[in-house]
Amino acid sequence: MSAQTAGPETLGSLSTEPDPQDPTSQQAKEIAGKSPMRIALGRLARDKIAVVCALVVLFFIICAVFAGPISSLFGVSLDTPLASERVDGLNNGLPKPEMGPPNGPFTWEHPMGVAPRTGQDNLAYWLHGCRVSLLIATVAAVFASVVGVVVGLLSGFLGGAVDKVLSFFIDMFLTIPFLLAALTLAPILNERFNTSDNYGTIQKISLICVLALFGWMGTARLIRGEVLSLREREFVQAARVMGMPTRRILFKELLPNLAAPIIISISLMLPAFVALEAGLAFLGIGVTDGVSWGQMILDAASPVYFRDYPQYLWQPMVGVVALVLSLNLLGDAIRDALDPKTRR
Amino acid sequence: MFAYVVKRLISGVLVVTLVSMAIFLLFWYGPSSPAQPICDRETSNRCGNKIEIYEKTLGYNNPVHEEYAKFVKGVFVGRTLTIASNDYECSAPCLGVSFRTKEPVKEELLSRVPATFSVAIGGAFLYLLFGIPIGVAAARRRGSVADKALVSSFLFISSIPYYLFALLTWLYLTVTFEIPLFSNTGYFSPITEGPWAWFSGLFLAWVALGIFGCTQYTRFTRGAMVEALSEDYIRTAKAKGLPSRTIVYKHGLRAALVPVVTIFGIDFGTLLAGTIFTERIFEIQGIGWWSLQAVQGMDLPVVQATAIFSAVILIISNLLVDIVYSVLDPRVRLS
Repeated sequence: MSAQTAGPETLGSLSTEPDPQDPTSQQAKEIAGKSPMRIALGRLARDKIAVVCALVVLFFIICAVFAGPISSLFGVSLDTPLASERVDGLNNGLPKPEMGPPNGPFTWEHPMGVAPRTGQDNLAYWLHGCRVSLLIATVAAVFASVVGVVVGLLSGFLGGAVDKVLSFFIDMFLTIPFLLAALTLAPILNERFNTSDNYGTIQKISLICVLALFGWMGTARLIRGEVLSLREREFVQAARVMGMPTRRILFKELLPNLAAPIIISISLMLPAFVALEAGLAFLGIGVTDGVSWGQMILDAASPVYFRDYPQYLWQPMVGVVALVLSLNLLGDAIRDALDPKTRR
Repeated sequence: MFAYVVKRLISGVLVVTLVSMAIFLLFWYGPSSPAQPICDRETSNRCGNKIEIYEKTLGYNNPVHEEYAKFVKGVFVGRTLTIASNDYECSAPCLGVSFRTKEPVKEELLSRVPATFSVAIGGAFLYLLFGIPIGVAAARRRGSVADKALVSSFLFISSIPYYLFALLTWLYLTVTFEIPLFSNTGYFSPITEGPWAWFSGLFLAWVALGIFGCTQYTRFTRGAMVEALSEDYIRTAKAKGLPSRTIVYKHGLRAALVPVVTIFGIDFGTLLAGTIFTERIFEIQGIGWWSLQAVQGMDLPVVQATAIFSAVILIISNLLVDIVYSVLDPRVRLS
């Protein structure tokens, strides 16, 4: 079975690999021992932008996973004892001078200051907002990819009427603008689950559903295209001749060859979902229980606070922009590494 | 050509019908009870058993197809809606009565159309005004330092989420620096409040939308131009000794613009259907912001009406794009 060595898309042009020792026989030997994934990883490791972006993403992942321990390390938490102890009600609800900026000097007690009016600690909320953002984006990207891969595999491999129906659905979903759909679905979902006690959790689940529901089409199209060319290859024909059931051909023969497009589509989906999560929260139709970068931005963007306390806006803003930007650039680098033909 | 247009029109009407049905069903079966929000609103959250009155008068006890028929009839001839014990007159294109204001949705929708359309038309105009010339210039200087700097800086801008870009623009130019031209953003009617108020209120929104959106058009135009300029007929034109202006704009750009126009048509339709972030950030009283407020106030008829309106606008714009494309590229309608 040539399933492992197949996939010209992933191998790429080997001649671009720089090799200090020139003898061609040795070069061939060297390359023969590398899997496509290792070649791609090697390319990634040499890409300086990719390495920097990966480190930034790693930083955010650590912040998200260890949000609780890091907050307690700095001695901050999501609980606010009494807002009036921290903020000055007479001064537009801005933080008191001893709480740090904008009215006082930096203090280790609240390294990123406290929020106006509510007196919540910014660092704790920032860390937990990072967790919410990455959690929702990752889970939604996984769901969207699973749906996209299954639809793309079936539509590409089975062809005929199945392909027609599935392609119709792909095209139909592609024409629906995401924001409008989210805006329409939000009140319905909110109304349905209004009475539950765990409203925040349900809000997150419905947000993941909405993101996955409108995020799978790109993957499906990509996979369908790949499968259309793969299914004519010898190893698939051989599997068919051997009488392998369709399910086995799909998941044992085709799926391993689709690793590259799947990784590419997930890595391009993540930044989009992070941006959308914060954007929906900013509009007040995403996660509205307070722990979210989008909500921090919404709160901080009111002119009253922004005039005197722009740092409050910059903290979540830098979080979103840095995460989205590095995920985007990393995604591009991954695509270039896995599929050198698209290299600019 | 005529047959193609008629065929597309029929399928367009069909899609509008299907979409309106889908949205109607979504708002019928989606909420646990569609009457709950208005009941909560009217009785200040002490709804209890009164919900049955609301469900009965709003027709939620009837079969769904009967109510959809009434809704369609309302769109064409108007109807009288009953909420609890009050009757509300709703004339010809009736899209329902707002739960909050008790006014027909149509009137407020129409009053907000000019704002959204102003934003969309101005923004889309800037897409092309910035995007195409920059794309052409980059393609002509392909591979130079300027081209590379442009491509990477535009890639950077388009990686930032649009709403953050627009929000920063608004906060710094309007709130912090208070630049006179941008000091009062929003929609002002050009007829009653003068064209200058209209222009200066929307200018910043147009610029933000235009600069962010044009990055995509620069990329498309650059790609299409690079491809077009490497064609054989361009070499022929050069060999004939035509001036380079003629070669680039008459021979190259003409061929490169077809895909750009198609993408533009779809984008423009999406903008007309609702510029939610732009309206929310620049405080423009358009359809997008209105539907956002309706979502927050659980004003289901308004959300439903804006969803149907946006869907219809999108379908019409896709239809127009298809027809224009078939004029620009005759191969499409033959296949």
